[in-house]
Amino acid sequence: MTWLNDLPIVTLVTFLPALGALVIAFTPTGRPNMARYLALGFALAAWVVSLVMLAGFVAGDPAFQFTESLAWIPTFGINYAVGVDGLSIVLVVLTTTLTWISILASFGPIQNRVKEYMISFLVLEVGMIGVFVAMDLFLFYIFWELVLVPMYLIIGIWGGKNRIYATIKFVLYTLVGSLLMLVAILATAYTYQSGHGGSWAGAFDVQALADYAATGAFGGTFGLIAFGAFFLAFAIKVPMFPFHTWLPDAHVEAPTAGSVILAGVLLKLGGYGFIRFALPLFPEAAHSWAPLIIVLSLIAIIYGAIVALVQPDLKKLVAYSSVSHMGFVTLGIFVFQQQGMQGAILQMVNHGLITGALFLLVGVIYERTHDRTIAKMGGLGGAVPVYAAAFGFFVFASVGLPGLSGFVGEFLTLVGTFAANPAAAAVATFVMILAAGYLLWMLQRVLFGELSDFLKGLGGHLTDMRPIEALTLVPLGVLVVVFGLWPGLILDLIGGSVDSALAAVSQAAPVALGLWR
Amino acid sequence: MTFQDATVLAPFIAAILVALAILTVDFIFPGRKVPALIATFMGLALIAVLVLITGQSTFEAFGGAYDVDPLTTFLDLLFVSIVALTMAFAPDYLEERGLPVPEFAALLVFAMSGAMLLAASGDLLVLFLGLELMVLPGYVLAGYHKTDGYSTEGAIKYFLLGSFSSAIFLFGLAFVWGITGTTNIAEVAAYMGQVAAGAIPMSPGLGLALAFMTTGVAFKIAAVPFHYWTPDAYQGSPTPVTGYLSVGPKIGAFALIIRLFAQGLADLAIDWNIVFMVLAALTMTLGNLVALQQDNVKRMLAYSSIAHTGYMLVGFAAYGAGNIAGMEALLFYGAAYTFMNLGAFAVVAALQRRTGVTSNLSTFAGLVRREPAMAWLLTLFLLSLTGIPPTVGFFGKFLVISAAVEVGGPLTALAILTVLNAAIAAFYYLRVVVYMFMRDPAGELPRLRHGRLLWAGLAVSTFLTIILGVFPNLLLEIVGVAAAAI
Repeated sequence: MTWLNDLPIVTLVTFLPALGALVIAFTPTGRPNMARYLALGFALAAWVVSLVMLAGFVAGDPAFQFTESLAWIPTFGINYAVGVDGLSIVLVVLTTTLTWISILASFGPIQNRVKEYMISFLVLEVGMIGVFVAMDLFLFYIFWELVLVPMYLIIGIWGGKNRIYATIKFVLYTLVGSLLMLVAILATAYTYQSGHGGSWAGAFDVQALADYAATGAFGGTFGLIAFGAFFLAFAIKVPMFPFHTWLPDAHVEAPTAGSVILAGVLLKLGGYGFIRFALPLFPEAAHSWAPLIIVLSLIAIIYGAIVALVQPDLKKLVAYSSVSHMGFVTLGIFVFQQQGMQGAILQMVNHGLITGALFLLVGVIYERTHDRTIAKMGGLGGAVPVYAAAFGFFVFASVGLPGLSGFVGEFLTLVGTFAANPAAAAVATFVMILAAGYLLWMLQRVLFGELSDFLKGLGGHLTDMRPIEALTLVPLGVLVVVFGLWPGLILDLIGGSVDSALAAVSQAAPVALGLWR
Repeated sequence: MTFQDATVLAPFIAAILVALAILTVDFIFPGRKVPALIATFMGLALIAVLVLITGQSTFEAFGGAYDVDPLTTFLDLLFVSIVALTMAFAPDYLEERGLPVPEFAALLVFAMSGAMLLAASGDLLVLFLGLELMVLPGYVLAGYHKTDGYSTEGAIKYFLLGSFSSAIFLFGLAFVWGITGTTNIAEVAAYMGQVAAGAIPMSPGLGLALAFMTTGVAFKIAAVPFHYWTPDAYQGSPTPVTGYLSVGPKIGAFALIIRLFAQGLADLAIDWNIVFMVLAALTMTLGNLVALQQDNVKRMLAYSSIAHTGYMLVGFAAYGAGNIAGMEALLFYGAAYTFMNLGAFAVVAALQRRTGVTSNLSTFAGLVRREPAMAWLLTLFLLSLTGIPPTVGFFGKFLVISAAVEVGGPLTALAILTVLNAAIAAFYYLRVVVYMFMRDPAGELPRLRHGRLLWAGLAVSTFLTIILGVFPNLLLEIVGVAAAAI
């Protein structure tokens, strides 16, 4: 499909939602359905374009494809440079898929200020896709920050009772991390600039910076500190222990669709940042930091699971399980093993699909009960069989049942970890039992047994899933099965990205720790 | 005065004449605002055109006492925009309170002429003259609502501390004249070059002069710990005046700092720059921490303007450490700050069109239902003040931080402090957004009607806040030329 290369398709997929937001802004306020269907239409259009892009993508090629570059701020050598490689395109398609699903899932629950909601959601999509396709550090940072504002509004306006506290916490956490990263970005660009005779050309270009980093230019103490700043920004986003405390609040207060996007895509921004920026730019420092990050990942895996075990609130349980699952992602990245990193990326995609679906399911039951307390549930299996089947399916996927996609990611991560660090692998494997524990126990309390008095009291309100709700879950379920049986679909795409990220790291030696002084 | 002197001076003369013309128009059509506004805006357009014509290259007049270079041109245009935007926002507010518009316009233009004189001064005396001409109308404006006790109180505080600091500053200038025997800035610079080279010993008198002048300008820009007059003066003043005071005299004072420190005392940078670095750190941190505790939006914006002074000082400190990009950052930030801060004040002023409305946070509750356009615009300006891309405020911070990081050493620490401060600021700026969007209004109020002029001014600020954030190069090239002129 060579004609694709003549189209600015990456720009198209990035800014189609922005166009949608603009169009919706000019619709009359009293017509919520118009805003809803326009938003869905534009999200679906972006999805289709991203699929066309995927179809035209050459899987074996590790280089960026569909690249576009325009001079933007020549004074600093900043370009509007976008393109996709295997890693980007997988995450872009994940984003476009989850966005239209989330918008569809918002049709029922969001009843006030629909227009603003839909605009926020589409702007959010622009930011998320932009992060994944930016090939210029400055552009990346712009999109990274752009994500913040709509999410702030989505949680703060359409969230639960404690939404204002949660949304401000979310913004402040993220902002502190990203602003320090901005300083590191600038310092890196200056190091590049002064190493190139004061010329700014390429100082923000991701590829040029990575090539320069391969010469050891960003090593030493500078690398350690700059990596630290990047690490903080990404670790807050992932979120890694001990920077995770914003996540349960944000998830619990966010509207269902906000939670889906938060878990499905926003958390992936951190993992993506590690692979795309932190490792290639600071390979030496990455080696030095890796032991600490592995330990923090293990703590996150264990801690998230243990805390999930005791959560009385359904949504909070899923939120803490995210902390645990995302621990596998950072673990897989920082063992610097091919399988480990492949597993980490698969885990990112799977977590997006499965946890996204779980949040949708929690949202479905909350719509009917206006309560999420596990203790008040019970016996849903008999009352709402379709819902129960779907719930069970995704819970098993989350546990990591072989044949479903959750298994493959965790398995590959553990294989890679075992090769590099058997002790870490042993700890992580042990936690998979805990995961089975908290998820299955929750499943038992919610679905099985007698219908609880609380649910009986709802009477006719306790209805089974509506078609529109099922429609949001079916694509996720299909993908979970497909990727579970055929992980090669993704592995083929991301192979090049994984190899080049690992190649950068493997050639570097850790910074001597004496430099810490 | 030769003919060339007169042509170089044309924008300044025009500014004085425009102010007089406004007063004349008011004399012909007493109490009518439209003729006065027409005279004001046409006059401002004329001044802008003259600035552009005379500012094409570098000129000297009066034997070097009045210099026009690209920096002057840039600053003059900025001053004209400040006055034009203020005049777009003020009439609604003034009319509601029965305050005369024509005199207000004339005072602003007089103040602007002082700022223009400042920006072009090549002589210490002209510098001081410009400073006084700029701040004196400011005192009057602060007390413009003369039946309001707070306005009068704020004006008196502003006047007393302003005169006090002017005297301190003048004292420093006198020392410089006594030691160097000249008031010409270029000659002062030459003398200081010899001091820096060791040909002339650094005398205690010179140290005192530096201390007095630094203190004087720190008062004028409201740097911590010389900021105590600011919150009362800002809160007491009529809101459009507050907007003007937080921008106009501040940029003017920075013009003074550039002309005096960056040009006259450039070679002593090693002696004064450490002071500016400390001032920058204190100013932004304290300004933000105190702004955090404010429940009144106007007072919050007053403290936040102190914090923004701190960010600009970071840019200046980077310049003092030898990085020209620091000056570019300072100038860019000045322009960015003008548009976003005036925009924010414009919205606050517009909401006070209903007399008796305080600017307390609670009055912003549920604003998006009552006045969605105002709520969204204020959100934009606050996001820009926070420094969220893609707004001009973000790029201003970007430039300041990058200039500081480029210098390295202690300035990197200052850059990190800057971004941490930006995160603190995010909290109190976003709190206003929380009130506007996420809280329910206390009671139902009817919608206000706003004048077309106000909307036009808001449109301009909005346009510039966004367009210069997305395409900063438009402004970046201009400030590059302006900074190179020093």
